[in-house]
Amino acid sequence: MRLPDRVTGLFLVGLGAAAAYGGWQLPPVPGQPVGPNVFPLVIGTGLALCGLAIAFGIGHSFEEEEELIPVEGGQPPPPTGKFYGLRALLPPALLLFYVAVADRLGFIITAALIVFVTSTALGARWKLSLPLAVLAPIGIHLIFSKLLRVPLPPGLLPMPW
Amino acid sequence: MLNTLAQAFALISTWEVIIAMFAASVYGLVIGSLPGLSATMATALLVPVTFYLSPIAAIATIVAASTMAIFAGDIPGALLRIPGTPASAAYADEAYAMTRKGEAELALGAGVWFSAVGGIAGTLSLMILAPPLAEIALSFSTFEYFWLAFLGLMCATLVARSSPVKAIASMFIGLLVACIGIENPGGVPRFTFGMTNLFGGIEPIPALVGVFAVAQVMRAMLTPEPPPIPRRKFGSILAGQWKLTKKYNWQMTRGNIIGIIIGVLPGAGADMAAWVSYAMSKRFSKEPEKFGTGHVEGLVEAGASNNASIASGWVPSLLFGIPGDTIAAIAIGVLYMKGLNPGPTLFTEKASSMYAIYLMFIIANIIMIPLGIVMIRLASYVLRAPRSTVMPVIMLCCAVGSFAIGNNIFGVVIVATFGVIGYVMEENGYPVAAMVLGIVMGTMIEQSFVTSLIKSDGSIFPFFERPIAAILAAMAIGALIWPVLVWVWRRLRREAPAAASAR
Repeated sequence: MRLPDRVTGLFLVGLGAAAAYGGWQLPPVPGQPVGPNVFPLVIGTGLALCGLAIAFGIGHSFEEEEELIPVEGGQPPPPTGKFYGLRALLPPALLLFYVAVADRLGFIITAALIVFVTSTALGARWKLSLPLAVLAPIGIHLIFSKLLRVPLPPGLLPMPW
Repeated sequence: MLNTLAQAFALISTWEVIIAMFAASVYGLVIGSLPGLSATMATALLVPVTFYLSPIAAIATIVAASTMAIFAGDIPGALLRIPGTPASAAYADEAYAMTRKGEAELALGAGVWFSAVGGIAGTLSLMILAPPLAEIALSFSTFEYFWLAFLGLMCATLVARSSPVKAIASMFIGLLVACIGIENPGGVPRFTFGMTNLFGGIEPIPALVGVFAVAQVMRAMLTPEPPPIPRRKFGSILAGQWKLTKKYNWQMTRGNIIGIIIGVLPGAGADMAAWVSYAMSKRFSKEPEKFGTGHVEGLVEAGASNNASIASGWVPSLLFGIPGDTIAAIAIGVLYMKGLNPGPTLFTEKASSMYAIYLMFIIANIIMIPLGIVMIRLASYVLRAPRSTVMPVIMLCCAVGSFAIGNNIFGVVIVATFGVIGYVMEENGYPVAAMVLGIVMGTMIEQSFVTSLIKSDGSIFPFFERPIAAILAAMAIGALIWPVLVWVWRRLRREAPAAASAR
């Protein structure tokens, strides 16, 4: 997901301008020279200026390429495929999945699904990911629900404690 | 004085205090080392427990848990590049680079050793410098606060290894995120787009978990599994620390002093101390080019700094009831609950309790060394576990931890969103750390800025009129101008030889 500086810079110009405009639209506090509108105006303007500078490549010379410290043994070339890049979106998607179904399915079942999918996506065989999907949610449930009193949704499979 | 000290010893040498302190230490170490669970959260979760304890035991749990958690945040920072607490975020990259170089022992050892040294230095400051330092900080008006917060933000852009323009842009994004909600001078819903969940603003902790933890899992999805780290016993954790102490003696002392000063100032806590000290270490180092590639110098200074700020954060809390940081704010609540109302009279009427607090801080920092080493040895099993077992558990911690902060499922949405934001920013060279600092400090900087503007009737001059404000302003503007000067100077130097060769 490496975008050219021109794209990110112009996006920031848009974001900054929108923030400054949105801040400007806010109602002022009667009888006071400055209210909730000043800060977003300043921030938005600053952000837009930074975006312009980035789009025109100012300060680019400061950028150092990240020096990766080579790990012993060398790295295998990453597999490439059409949808390979989309795999990065899996973790946030799983979190949104948790938000959507945790109340209905309950913590244990939802968490087991998340663990199984994440683990498999990272290359674990089912011999590893299946026991992990059973044990990890129970362990987390013990720590958070039993010890820290976080009200996790029981759903279809409430824990006996 | 000796009599008071003896009384203080008697107060803390009860089984209740000893057990409470030990249990809270283990708890602080575990919570601090779990990514997404900050030292503040660990302390906040302890408050219900303190209901059942005597006043001194209650304070003992807070002292022990917060001290341990700030150090323990270094452990996942070094092993997984996920800081356990925000205070370790400044140097998590550095510590992780050291681990990749095979110097995990040195990085973690420096964490535990210099944290303990810093904690004790902070306690000494609490004992000796409390009254005069608190007086200086008390005379600060919003103008000084504004410049201090501004300086803190500029420091975030200095620690970044990317272009300063992108770092400043990241900082502005963070400040923009802090604008969300109704906690603004007018109390109107700002940038909430009609969503009730956004009225309370974006909590820094879910945002932090998102950009540091979820983004890390996202990166793991695309990068091939690193070759297994060779099975080896962790060497001696403390080996070489004494050598480091002598080599970086001045850096350590400077870190301690900076940590103490920042801890005393209200609103600025361990995380800002670590940022400022790390930036300072980089700026004044003899070998700044080594920073970011696994160099221990910044770790020494920032590690000494963030733990020093924990104890000194209690200075304004005990004297005036003004919290030095978020942990101290919780501590003030417990102090009131236990009848130890903060105020200058505490030091005369309840002197033995104050001495007991000093002693507990010192003891907590000493037992941190053995307990911390045990924790490091246990935590380092994470290194040997395959990524496909660690990452799913981290995912669960992200989901549950962000939910637990406010018992609100919306926290999980924030975590997911900031995971994507953090991932995209990092990929394109925008330092996420600068954005995080903007989110954390946004409310403070806006309040001091707007209050100052109201006081000065819209004029800009009062921002520079007070002596301390003028000094802070000069430093902050210097930090802002510095990259521009370097850029112009480089430009001129590059053009001069070009012109000479053209001739």
